[in-house]
Amino acid sequence: MFQWLDTEGAPLKHHIPGSTNYLPDLKIRGGSFDKGEPSTQPFPLNANFVSESILSEELRNEIHKRVVGQKKSIRAVSAELGVDMRRVAAVCRLVEMEKRWKQQGKPLALPYARAVHEMVPTTPLQDSRHQRQTPHESINDLPAHRLTNAQIFYPVSESRQFTRIEAGRVFSAAPARDHRIVTEEAANPSEAMSRITQNPSRIETVGKGAKEQPVLQPADVRIPHPHLVVHERQRIANPNEFQLVRKAYDARLREEEEIERDRKLIAQERRERQLSRVQPESSRFEFRIKDVVVSKETTGSDGRGARAPGRRYGVPSYDRKKGQIKIPTQVVV
Amino acid sequence: MVVRIRLARFGNKHQPFYNIIVAQARSARDSKPLEVIGTLNPFPQRPTNLSEQEARTARAYKEISLDRSRVKYWLGVGAQPSDPVWRILNLAGLVQQKQQSPK
Repeated sequence: MFQWLDTEGAPLKHHIPGSTNYLPDLKIRGGSFDKGEPSTQPFPLNANFVSESILSEELRNEIHKRVVGQKKSIRAVSAELGVDMRRVAAVCRLVEMEKRWKQQGKPLALPYARAVHEMVPTTPLQDSRHQRQTPHESINDLPAHRLTNAQIFYPVSESRQFTRIEAGRVFSAAPARDHRIVTEEAANPSEAMSRITQNPSRIETVGKGAKEQPVLQPADVRIPHPHLVVHERQRIANPNEFQLVRKAYDARLREEEEIERDRKLIAQERRERQLSRVQPESSRFEFRIKDVVVSKETTGSDGRGARAPGRRYGVPSYDRKKGQIKIPTQVVV
Repeated sequence: MVVRIRLARFGNKHQPFYNIIVAQARSARDSKPLEVIGTLNPFPQRPTNLSEQEARTARAYKEISLDRSRVKYWLGVGAQPSDPVWRILNLAGLVQQKQQSPK
């Protein structure tokens, strides 16, 4: 290895700041430094492994400034800068932690951070007055839903509207809706979508007892940023009125955020109503006593209903079985 | 035979979790009870999402769930709570604190 580093691999011995230091870079540089685009492929024989960009320091600080300083919502900042909502939330938490560490005088691994930022591709922060921000990643991705795995042959007469909403109903085996409602919705799809996103508790359910589940909704409302679809529709409808569309977008976003905040508040209040907190003088702990219901409806006819309180009897727990993941694999924001 | 309101241990080794149950006094601890009326998680939970000011004074909490109307019914028909359950019901304000019996 040392022989290789002295001869062929000599250009890779020290990295060039702002460029990757991968093996294919050798060919691009051709012995002399700084020729062509830096490679994003660390392993020359694996073309499918592409190293993704990370957030640059400026972009990271900008995210924190907009969320914490300007009090913008995570949703708005995510759409503006093209960064996933989970990543925006994580950046805010980590920057806060960094600030706290600085305050406490803890040492930071700054040389390490600097070296990493110099050696991997980063998404720079564009000056917003001159250029549009290049998106860091795809923000509206949606994993395939389990219900859509089935291949269903479903004949529909030509006279009928068959939208994505209808397709979702077919996948979850819900009865078809009245033709008139479907035609009305097809005339104004944006409103139909926002009605679903603003009232998720009113989504119809199918199935009985433990098998009850909400009807599968179209991808338009399940994606993280449904409001962007409406925005795009407006943009196509009014191609020359940039300001107007922008204003409508801001208003819509504000309205969505307000509704979401109200919904969260109501849910929180409901949770609080069912909870009584006791702080005995003699104890170090607080006791949170939640009201639950034990009845025929919750326990079910065989006493194994999932909505009743307590661990179930006669239902094996598979937590020691092979393939059961106990370490959390994702953070739900 | 006496009907008792008592705890049944679930969970794994070193990870207890209790169902608050109504059962015949002579039945085994984890056998199928007459009714499950609540749960107790004895592990103190750290409250999250607090401001720095709140975090300084916040206590760790223990989670209890309880169906109060079922407890009142079973107490009304003469079920006897065990000592740990008595303490829980006292916290919920359903029974008076037990007088310490002289040892």
